[in-house]
Amino acid sequence: MRAPDAAVIRRGLKVTGMYVVSIAVALSLSAGLIAITGGPWRKVLSALLDGSIRNPGRWGGTLAEAAPLLIVALGAIISTRAGLVNIGQEGQVAVGAALAAFVATRGSGPLVLVAAIAAGFIGGALWAGIAALLRFWRNVPEVISTLLLVFIAAQATGYLLTRTFLLLDSDPNKPNRVQTSAQLDSATRIGRVRLFGNEFPWSVPVALLLAIAVALLLHRSVWGFRLTVLGRNPRTAQRIGVPVVVAGAAALAISGAMAGLAGAAMLAGGTANYRYTPGFANSVGWEGLLVALVARNRPLVCLPTAFIFASLRTGSGFLAATGVERSIVDVVRALLVLALLVPPAVAAVQRRRVSPPPAAAAAEEPTVIMGATA
Amino acid sequence: MGATAATPAVRLSSITKRYGPVVACDAVDLELLPGEIHGILGENGAGKSTLMKILIGLVQPDNGSAFVAGRETVIHDPQTAADLGIGMVHQHLSLVGSLTVWENVVLGDHRRLDRRTARRQVTETAEHYGLDIDPDRHVGELSAGLRQRVELIKCLRRDPAIVILDEPTSVLTPAESEQLFRTLRDVVAREQRAVALVSHKLAEILHATDKVTIMRQGRVVDQRTTADATAASLARAMVGREVSLRASATALGAAAVPREADGNAEPASRPSVADDRPVMLSIDHAQLQRHGVAVLDDLSLTVRAGEIVGVAGVEGNGQRELGDLLSSLIELDGGSVTLDGQRVRSGRAGSMARSGVAVIPEDRHDSGCVLDMSVADNLLIDRVAAHSRFGFINRGHIRRTAEQLMAEFEIQGAGYSAPFGSLSGGNQQRVVLARELSSQPKVLVAAQPTRGLDVGAIEYMTARLRAAAESGIAVLLISTELEEILDLSDRIVVLSRGRVIGQLNRADATPERLGLLLGGMATPDEPTEESHARA
Repeated sequence: MRAPDAAVIRRGLKVTGMYVVSIAVALSLSAGLIAITGGPWRKVLSALLDGSIRNPGRWGGTLAEAAPLLIVALGAIISTRAGLVNIGQEGQVAVGAALAAFVATRGSGPLVLVAAIAAGFIGGALWAGIAALLRFWRNVPEVISTLLLVFIAAQATGYLLTRTFLLLDSDPNKPNRVQTSAQLDSATRIGRVRLFGNEFPWSVPVALLLAIAVALLLHRSVWGFRLTVLGRNPRTAQRIGVPVVVAGAAALAISGAMAGLAGAAMLAGGTANYRYTPGFANSVGWEGLLVALVARNRPLVCLPTAFIFASLRTGSGFLAATGVERSIVDVVRALLVLALLVPPAVAAVQRRRVSPPPAAAAAEEPTVIMGATA
Repeated sequence: MGATAATPAVRLSSITKRYGPVVACDAVDLELLPGEIHGILGENGAGKSTLMKILIGLVQPDNGSAFVAGRETVIHDPQTAADLGIGMVHQHLSLVGSLTVWENVVLGDHRRLDRRTARRQVTETAEHYGLDIDPDRHVGELSAGLRQRVELIKCLRRDPAIVILDEPTSVLTPAESEQLFRTLRDVVAREQRAVALVSHKLAEILHATDKVTIMRQGRVVDQRTTADATAASLARAMVGREVSLRASATALGAAAVPREADGNAEPASRPSVADDRPVMLSIDHAQLQRHGVAVLDDLSLTVRAGEIVGVAGVEGNGQRELGDLLSSLIELDGGSVTLDGQRVRSGRAGSMARSGVAVIPEDRHDSGCVLDMSVADNLLIDRVAAHSRFGFINRGHIRRTAEQLMAEFEIQGAGYSAPFGSLSGGNQQRVVLARELSSQPKVLVAAQPTRGLDVGAIEYMTARLRAAAESGIAVLLISTELEEILDLSDRIVVLSRGRVIGQLNRADATPERLGLLLGGMATPDEPTEESHARA
């Protein structure tokens, strides 16, 4: 190994500096906003920390929130690797959870739980599969179709909650008039881990293992290699024997399946009190996508990122006491996302601008200029 | 033109231009005399184009001065250059396809546009130089040769004292090149203009110029009268070492020049391939439509083991589709592909590669590699599965194999873990070559394998292709460089509008005959269809 050269170190320091500055800017802007809306920012920060990790039993809840975000993010990474942009996780989470609820409320016991989780997985895959079908059959851009399918998913799962033979709870003594599914039987729920006074469902360690598995598969397996070739140069992929349509559609479907799995895990892990409710996905799909974005598609970087995003979710529950709007957290989250995305983007642009490769500069490059002047 | 023979039309004095650490031009001196064609010869990246861009005002030198007609001048921009009487015919033609010929010629004029006057001027200029052209045709409908004629008319109409031509024959058929050189002679002899002819083709320089300046790595390494030069001496000066003329000068030469002229006429030293060798690749009646146009039209050809079949043709006549077909990238509408006796379905991912077809693609960035994956990954991109266990890649294995290949094929410039895109063009091409040859193919398709490479790399590639054929691989060479085809092929097929319009054995092929076929000016009356019938 030769010593890294000074320019590389300088660039590294510069990027780090940019991160510090942009996060500082995001936090001060957030503080400013909080001040304007009438709360002292220290109290708000303190409430956020109390709600997410400091108060007894809170970090377990945050972990429970982080698991689905992580699973969704892992799915997003898989399709992005293959060069397909799936942004419809919000809908895939909902469909997965709804299908899981349908299966889970038909029976009871661990086998039903497994079947329900499988149903969630398949549901997400099918929902993303529609986009994959449109993409490869009719050339519909998957960015648009996955996004629009989110709204169809909301309507479709909403419809399931209007009929008792589908999802609607048929119990005459149900607590309120909100249309929800029946509650999962206690034998059909995901078990809970108790640790230092905190508790979270088993889906948390499973999600952690999934992240490691996805990282290994993408970076070390033949499948991951071929997926990468496909994403970066589909024509080369086709030539070396990666079937563009099949592999691409599979990646998109797996990506949806992960979101569906996240939905099933939420349902059986206790979200909405083990019931499928309207608005069940509750932005987990969107935020999972952001986790992948901020982690820049690196599975293991998603671990801390998902935890931070989950902290904002659980912490915001404690804001009511400070008198600050809960939705301020959305603004803070957006500012943070921007802050984390700006430095790498700027660095990439600078790298390209600083020095074009010398060979290219010396060769017959400026033909463009010639064309322009002639 | 008022200048006497004593005053050069242009004198560049110790011009230096740097791009970062690279010195594109290093204290270059150059004199262009009126009434003279001055060749500027050099490999890719030798600094020829940069020098010309300085002359035309596109690039400002860091050092040195320019004298136009004896007066020191700063050429700020192309407009200044035009006012000084410097005109250029660009390598990449800069015409607007949807405009007519006369509109293109007057494009960029500052005067008021008058259709009638403009058309008359165009016709007059064209007639004056014997450049026959219809001023009302749309440029988009014209062949590359006619387009260049338009460029030339555009340049000459402005009555320049100095005419610069940058690689003018790269898009021309031999006949068109010959015509161009005749016009240039005329321009120089009758009107005492100064012409700079930039080229990396030895034969062209020998044939068409009065003086020659040879550049290497930004420096002028030699300046001499062309009459005193030979192909061998020019090649040596250009490359800086002895090169095999058969491998390099031929690949660099212009087809317009009879081969005898530069001593390249010796017949291919390899004995011709016996007809009893098995047919490895056979394409039968291939048919492909694109937007209602037949891009492959009843195309049939065969390649035997150990044989190099050259596919000649003007660019855009089905060569790209032929390469794509053998890269499993397109599905035929009709016809079939047979490899070593087995029919292979076209357009199925990897079907051709699995049946033993290796491809050096025309554009390696398009279907040959992944720029932001590592050199090692690119070297073994089609066979990672062979370097894996239980579906997981054995990185150490990959590294060792890649390092072996890099040593064997002399791939330099970066380690195995460097991004492929950081390699130079020549080394990138070597990576592709190394991968394709090491896949132990039955058929090797080489599409424009030496395009954009310098002479050393061309020499290397040529030798490798020959060696591949000698080892029994059936080689299909698709190239628009006639010399390359003539130099390497045992058999030549000529492609036009997606059809094979002629087949020649190497012994029957002369540049003239091929040129006529290419230009669509002759039908093959040769008894050349026999191999067709045999297949």
